Amino acid sequence: MPRYGFVIDLKRCYGCYSCQVACKAENCTPKGIDWARCIQAEVGQYPSALRQMLPTVCMQCDDPACMTVCPTGATTKDENGIIQVDKKLCMGCKYCIMACPYGARQVVANWETYFPDAPGDLDPYEAYAKKRWEEGRAGYGMATKCDYCMHRVKEGRNPACVDACPAKARYFGDLSDPESEISILIRRERGFQLNPEFGTNPSCYYLPPR
Amino acid sequence: MKMNPQSKWGWEVAAYLFLAGLGAGAYVFGVLVDLQGWSDAVARIGVILGLPCVFIGCMFLVLDLGTPSNFWRAAMRPNTSWIGRGTIIISLFMIINAVHIAFWIWPFGSVLQGADAARNFIAVLGVIFAFGTMVYTGILLGAARPIAFWSTALLPLLFLVSALSTGAMAIALIGTLAGVEHEVIAPLIRIDTLLLILELIVLGFYMQGTHRVEESRASAQLVMAGQLAGMFWFGVVAVGLLVPLFLDLLAGAAAWSAVLGSVCGIVGGLILRKVVLAGGVYAPLKAGRFEYALPRQ
Repeated sequence: MPRYGFVIDLKRCYGCYSCQVACKAENCTPKGIDWARCIQAEVGQYPSALRQMLPTVCMQCDDPACMTVCPTGATTKDENGIIQVDKKLCMGCKYCIMACPYGARQVVANWETYFPDAPGDLDPYEAYAKKRWEEGRAGYGMATKCDYCMHRVKEGRNPACVDACPAKARYFGDLSDPESEISILIRRERGFQLNPEFGTNPSCYYLPPR
Repeated sequence: MKMNPQSKWGWEVAAYLFLAGLGAGAYVFGVLVDLQGWSDAVARIGVILGLPCVFIGCMFLVLDLGTPSNFWRAAMRPNTSWIGRGTIIISLFMIINAVHIAFWIWPFGSVLQGADAARNFIAVLGVIFAFGTMVYTGILLGAARPIAFWSTALLPLLFLVSALSTGAMAIALIGTLAGVEHEVIAPLIRIDTLLLILELIVLGFYMQGTHRVEESRASAQLVMAGQLAGMFWFGVVAVGLLVPLFLDLLAGAAAWSAVLGSVCGIVGGLILRKVVLAGGVYAPLKAGRFEYALPRQ
């Protein structure tokens, strides 16, 4: 049984937001939902100030806080270690949004257009995205999240954000295989998990910044 | 770095936390008055106030759901989820409360007249679940570990004291308006005076306890000196606690002060829930020397 995971190399990320846009394009997420995200931080004062980006996805934790608090049973961990939310079972209580330390759970009530000033109905591209979103595994009024693009992975491809990253800062693979690229990277390059104090054992590892 | 508070649980959830607390608190005082035999009218007001308040609170919660048609699934995972456990606690409380009310209404009342042992048994059971209702909401918020402002043992205590206090004031308000003589209400107001003092102390310790991690310090900053400061100092501390406290102490014997103090205290209880919810700042993500605020969501 695989345990799919990510390695994100912080040395390599320069904050172009390609992952965020690629995720939107691939999954047709509405405004307000970003399953892949880039967050920015600065330390120090001029002239020794530094800026560092932190790209995030769902950490697909081994012991997920969102699943613990979910009252409906809509949240499950599948055989690949991916945390799934069942559209039919979620009641939209938003407790998982409070419990996830990584901001991976997001909810929208309805489709808000990106172009509110445009005349007439949604343009054909946005109408297509809206239709894909409504017919897909996510929807309105429910907790939605990244699933490491399982529809692509099942075809033998990488998640969209991995293929889109121009800096090659993102690696996708199987954590349960000690010889996989990501397992080797974590061992050799001092991979670490974000905020381990929350005890969720994330499947997304980071390689240290400079 | 500016850390962001949660924004998905707003007034609806605050209204639920408030109404469930008030209803359960009023029930506890109704039972207390009933068992002490102080006043049948006051006992009935307290017990009968419980069910509708908790029920309307639940309606607010259903209103807040993204998919309200799935509300019945709320109790599917009580083994891990505090929403699941809470749903069971408040459901049992409402059922027990309904049975308790049945002792006084037609057609059950005439049949059950004089069955005091049964009523007292129901009352004790009801009080246990009423305490569960008042306390579990604090534990529920505390289970959201990235929000350190909520993850403290003092929050259930704060909610408990506030629930008892607003419950007592709700009885005092309705009792006074319904024309119950003041000698019967007065002991409740004296208990409430002590509860208000206790609530001030617990609130002080609750805010003091935020110093431990930076996200709860950010919460304290937001609540006491930031965007929520007006609501906190004016709504919670002044209107919700000090006004009823001084009215109780200075003009405790007058009906108008019971009404005014109770209204202020009840409004303060609602604002307290809102302030606690809106002040829930997420922990930052940490990578080496860098700290990242979660985007507002």
